[in-house]
Amino acid sequence: MSTILKLENICYGYTDGSYKREILKHLSYEFEEGTFYTILGPSGSGKTTLLSIMAGLDKQEEGKIYYQGEDIDAMGLYKYRRNKIGVVFQSYNLVSYLTGLENILLAMTETDNPIPKNRTELAYALLNMVGIADTKAERMVTHLSGGEQQRIAIARAIAGNVDLIFADEPTGNLDTATEQEIIRLFQMLSERYGKTIIAVTHSNEVSKFSDHRVLLKNGVLNDL
Amino acid sequence: MNFFQRAIRYVRRKPSKSLLLTITFFLIGNLVILGLGVSQAAENAKVLTRKKMRAVVSYEVDYDKFWAYVDSLTDSDEAEKAWNNSPKIDRNTAVALTDDPRVVAFNYMTTNVVYGKDVESVPLGNEEERGNSDSSYVEPNLMIYANMFPDMLELHEGTYTVTDGRWYNQNEIDDAAPVVLITEELADQNSLRVGDTLTITSTDPNDFKNNAAAYTNANVTEEDTQFDLEIIGIYSTVENVDPNSESFRWMSPYESPKNRIQMPMTTMADIMVSTAEISSKVHPEWYADLDLDAARENAMTPGRIIYLLDDPLNVDAFVAENQGRLGEYTKLNANNDTFRKMARPLDTMSFFAGIVVWIVVVNAIVIISLVTALTLKTREYEIGVLLSIGVSKLKVVGQLFLELIIVAFIGFALASVSGSLMAGRVGDMVLDFQTTSEAQYEEQDSGYVFVNSTDYFTSVTQDDLLAEYHVSVSPLLIGEIFLLGTGVVLIAIVIPSFMIMRLNPKQILLEQN
Repeated sequence: MSTILKLENICYGYTDGSYKREILKHLSYEFEEGTFYTILGPSGSGKTTLLSIMAGLDKQEEGKIYYQGEDIDAMGLYKYRRNKIGVVFQSYNLVSYLTGLENILLAMTETDNPIPKNRTELAYALLNMVGIADTKAERMVTHLSGGEQQRIAIARAIAGNVDLIFADEPTGNLDTATEQEIIRLFQMLSERYGKTIIAVTHSNEVSKFSDHRVLLKNGVLNDL
Repeated sequence: MNFFQRAIRYVRRKPSKSLLLTITFFLIGNLVILGLGVSQAAENAKVLTRKKMRAVVSYEVDYDKFWAYVDSLTDSDEAEKAWNNSPKIDRNTAVALTDDPRVVAFNYMTTNVVYGKDVESVPLGNEEERGNSDSSYVEPNLMIYANMFPDMLELHEGTYTVTDGRWYNQNEIDDAAPVVLITEELADQNSLRVGDTLTITSTDPNDFKNNAAAYTNANVTEEDTQFDLEIIGIYSTVENVDPNSESFRWMSPYESPKNRIQMPMTTMADIMVSTAEISSKVHPEWYADLDLDAARENAMTPGRIIYLLDDPLNVDAFVAENQGRLGEYTKLNANNDTFRKMARPLDTMSFFAGIVVWIVVVNAIVIISLVTALTLKTREYEIGVLLSIGVSKLKVVGQLFLELIIVAFIGFALASVSGSLMAGRVGDMVLDFQTTSEAQYEEQDSGYVFVNSTDYFTSVTQDDLLAEYHVSVSPLLIGEIFLLGTGVVLIAIVIPSFMIMRLNPKQILLEQN
């Protein structure tokens, strides 16, 4: 298996007045393709910060991130987010005035990756794949349950034909049964479709079903 | 699901906000339509009235200014000197102005009354009213129109048409040829034809009769005072006296356009100089200081030069651009002062309507900016989501712009309908208010008139001007509203755009999570 994402000497910190708190300290790590990773760590260890940096939502102070060998800064963070990755958030982060289907079409429209012409059919298929029926796909997302919204968020994350999906506490707002369904979805995406999943979580349930568990502690990542 | 589709869905699925903004744009649109409508109607009325007016400009002595200057002189000698050096129009300047491409024709013309020997003038029709208190008194019966250049304004405009023979040419002007053109009516009245001779004199026959001894002593015969002119053309004129005018009753025959004779200015100057010479012989005591060169120069210096321009709408620009070429105490007069005074209510309305439009536009920008900026706070999360999936900030701004444009266009479309229905009535109300609050203009006597001269300026009244004032909503005006609205939205989006550019998706989404 080849490396899909390589972190090299990543540093990041917060400045609080004259005091600087270093969150990530010369962190280096390589994520393999088609693997379901979970990043664990105590509260405040910088898990979400690391995920934001890896997802191109924030910039590291030092170091480089390579996506399939290409520096994401050189690529451009917008382009990186649009074409290379998908992100699933704890609170779903769907566009509230669009339907589930339209949220999927939105990601398909924005990406520069090749998407077949029958986008609507494809979007329905994606939604069906994550367990959303056609009738629910056409509802406004605000009229759907948390679990349904998270499924749509996962479908949107892969709608742009990307291979790398980040998830930030993806089951944080869900009940146990729904959590299980979401975990199975991630497993399916990883195993059947070869997607790389990097999920930040507190949940043992999620980490238990991942292929690889990584601990973020003292600003560095270590395999568990 | 591009940003255009997202904008449409946002407008459709957020009906309360869209409705409020539509109402805002509707109200703004109505005010702007009324403001621009009134302003444009006022301008249109002026333009339409201008178009009806003759495109003439007069180069003349600015007597108001000159008299004001003389009045300001405290030293009587200086004042007398000033009087003796009264300003005159400059021939070189007058001719130089014809280089302007807007000048179609011009009259470098003087007029003079004369007596036609054995010529019966064309009756005016006021003879009975006028009566004849002193049958022994002989009054002039013909009026000379003498031009320095053959291409007269009246020929250009079709006021005169040569019906037989020809007009005099430049060579005849240069040579002071004794040639003349008479009107058809005068020719018929006296059975004159092209090739015949018209004999005239400018020596007062009454003086010749009353001071016969003086003429005999000076060895001046009646023949010496007469000039034979060859009739080279007969022309028709559409001009006539107005029998309804107040002055008609007292008009002399020579005042009728039918009793005009046309000749080169040099020919007339010869006649005038000769007459002056004869008068100085007969009455040397009256003409002690006679300067014949000065007399010729005077005869060849018109009181004003009339220029006919290609378009009435070019008059103001012609005056503005050429005023600087003139000497002191002379001016280009387009009858603008009168027109401006008449147009004052319209100008006032147009001015205030313009101010209303600006106030509304500025307020619209502020209101829309504020509304957009305030609602942006509630949309930060959505923007964070869009940014997180790689939508560029420019597209986010584009979506906001389109959302506003959609509701603005709906508001303006509705305003175009309501504005069309209201514009006429509101426009009339504004005009009524304006004309009742501002005294109507009544033409004032300027204090001086050009004796025996044609009034080349078209006479218009304030009623004529106001009759052309119609507030209506034209397609062009609607286009302007939409264009203005787009501008307002563009400016209004600037501040929110800066706010968007400063947004950090991580910050937004983390705060949300």
